[in-house]
Amino acid sequence: MISFQLFSTSLSFAVPLILAALGGLVQMRSGIVNIALEGQMLIGALVGLVTASWLSSWLLGSLLAVVAGVLSGLFITVLMNVFKANQIIVGLGFNILALGIIGYILKSVLGVSGTLQVDDPAPLPVLNPISSEDGFLASLLNDRNPVFWFTVLLVIALPIVLRKTPLGTHIRAVGFSYEGAESLGLRARRLQLGAGAFAGAMAALGGAELSMGQVGLFNVNMISGRGYVALAAIYFGAMIVIPTTIACVLFAFFEALQIRLQLNNIPASIVSTLPYVMVVLGLFSSRLFSTIRRKNVISRT
Amino acid sequence: MMPKSEFISGFFRAIVPIVVALLLGSVVILFSGDNPLNVYFLLLRESAGGWNQIQSTLTSSTVLLFTATATAIAFRAGIFSLAAEGSLIAGGFAAAVVGASLTLSSPFIAIPIVLLASMIAGLVAAAIPAALRAWLGVDEVVSTLLFTFIIAGVVTWLVQTRFQAPGQANSATSYVADVATLPRDILGSGIGGGFLLGLLCVGTYGIWVKRSSSGFAVRMLGTAPRYAKAIGVRAPIYIFSVMAMTGVVAGLGGGVHLTGLVGRYVEGFSAGYGFTGLAIAILARMNPWGIIAGAIFFGAITSAGGTVQLFSDIPLDIVNVLQGLIMLTVVVDYSVLKRKRRRSRGDSTISTPGGAT
Repeated sequence: MISFQLFSTSLSFAVPLILAALGGLVQMRSGIVNIALEGQMLIGALVGLVTASWLSSWLLGSLLAVVAGVLSGLFITVLMNVFKANQIIVGLGFNILALGIIGYILKSVLGVSGTLQVDDPAPLPVLNPISSEDGFLASLLNDRNPVFWFTVLLVIALPIVLRKTPLGTHIRAVGFSYEGAESLGLRARRLQLGAGAFAGAMAALGGAELSMGQVGLFNVNMISGRGYVALAAIYFGAMIVIPTTIACVLFAFFEALQIRLQLNNIPASIVSTLPYVMVVLGLFSSRLFSTIRRKNVISRT
Repeated sequence: MMPKSEFISGFFRAIVPIVVALLLGSVVILFSGDNPLNVYFLLLRESAGGWNQIQSTLTSSTVLLFTATATAIAFRAGIFSLAAEGSLIAGGFAAAVVGASLTLSSPFIAIPIVLLASMIAGLVAAAIPAALRAWLGVDEVVSTLLFTFIIAGVVTWLVQTRFQAPGQANSATSYVADVATLPRDILGSGIGGGFLLGLLCVGTYGIWVKRSSSGFAVRMLGTAPRYAKAIGVRAPIYIFSVMAMTGVVAGLGGGVHLTGLVGRYVEGFSAGYGFTGLAIAILARMNPWGIIAGAIFFGAITSAGGTVQLFSDIPLDIVNVLQGLIMLTVVVDYSVLKRKRRRSRGDSTISTPGGAT
């Protein structure tokens, strides 16, 4: 029962990670490393929570968070593609800028420092498809919000889109070789901008799920590295949808475990480094194997 | 000496992004109902309006001299290392632990020991991504970025479990012994010993890169890697060395920041100084004079932002707004605006900014 609970909590925690990671994955497939996921999640968390409360509609709030994410994604991708700016610096700079602008506006316009509580929150509704109260299926499927189900659909649909549809093939082609794709008549810039918009949208939706579905308020530090964990998951999952999703669930499990361990006075800080340690080990072993393989090929020839 | 025309073009290439960033920043300020001119005037007055303000600007820029130099060293070899932030944290932590436990009587022994400890810690923190990049070709951007979080987590854990100061609610170490504290006022000038060490560090970097054979090899590796390898530069050794030096210099910066200013390791020791250093290194295009100017510029915004927040309603977040904007505006290729005909592309590989100047 307790392990059910832990697994069920992990799935809830995984939703923002999976959304951000799959967005970043599509953008990485189009040839751009998105370090700005962290800032995009923060924007989504704020826009979603505030607009949902203003308009008294979780759906409109989520949609406006997505719109904000699309704009942010287009913004950074235009800088990288049209203005040829370095991807890493744009990403890091965007995160600092997003944090700065949001903190600035919170203080000077809304008069709050760091944390924003809305008066009439419109949280994400909870769906209960299983009528019984307990059991594995109930703990798995009940108490889930619409964004959770959207995420499930995304995980199922995205591999098909990326592998089987012309759009997915074109995006991968652009990432594989920008000039090559252009020379074949693909609108490479448009595809890269589209992938960037999608990444921004998904990261922002993930942030909105965090503020509207899990936390119920906004804090400038609420993303606390989830964007970077999502990035780590993409590398750990080797830019493939299902492994990346599994990595997100695993990292979310660490997060859930960390909260449980904290109750037993075990410091959480070490557990929080586990996703990063695993990715570094993963990068290390995959490069090691490919280096050994290459050396063997050379020595054989 | 650098040719005059190069100096001027470098100056303009640094000024244009700053001006664009200030213009964009004024949009944010206008949106919140303040007058941008007022805000910028206040920032200027509080960073350079008097000797006290200049002193605190130099104090704030000290740590940035180290992180910018650390990052520039790796950039020279074409290595995009983000290790400065992690090494800064490790160096500061090591200085705190060693500095608090020293029972020596002479600062001439105690300070070098503490700074040596911070350099070693910075080296250790940078060594794994360096080795992975040098011999296995693991992308240094990802590994150094993710390593930052590993180091921060491990240091927090060490502070909480082993080095927590008694009677402290938050996670903080004890203060370092007086004997291990860097002088904060050299000869009554109000300039701290840390700032002078920072200048020394930038100067050493400048001489190394222009005058030494290893500096030449590193520059060649950064600008023409295949040519460098062809004439016998052993790339892995050099790549490991520059990435390790990034760690050493940033670790030293952490030690200086700790013993010269903060006095103990507290959670949130680095307010992203490593990433600010990255911005400075790019803004300066790795030029030592540019690094000094950039560090003082960012130090001025940071120190003035803190004071301005105290007696006006302008939040400290203006520092982040301006820094983020500068990072975005400095990497933008403005020539695109002129030559619209040429097709541009988003490169999937990470190129180093600028080139050797």
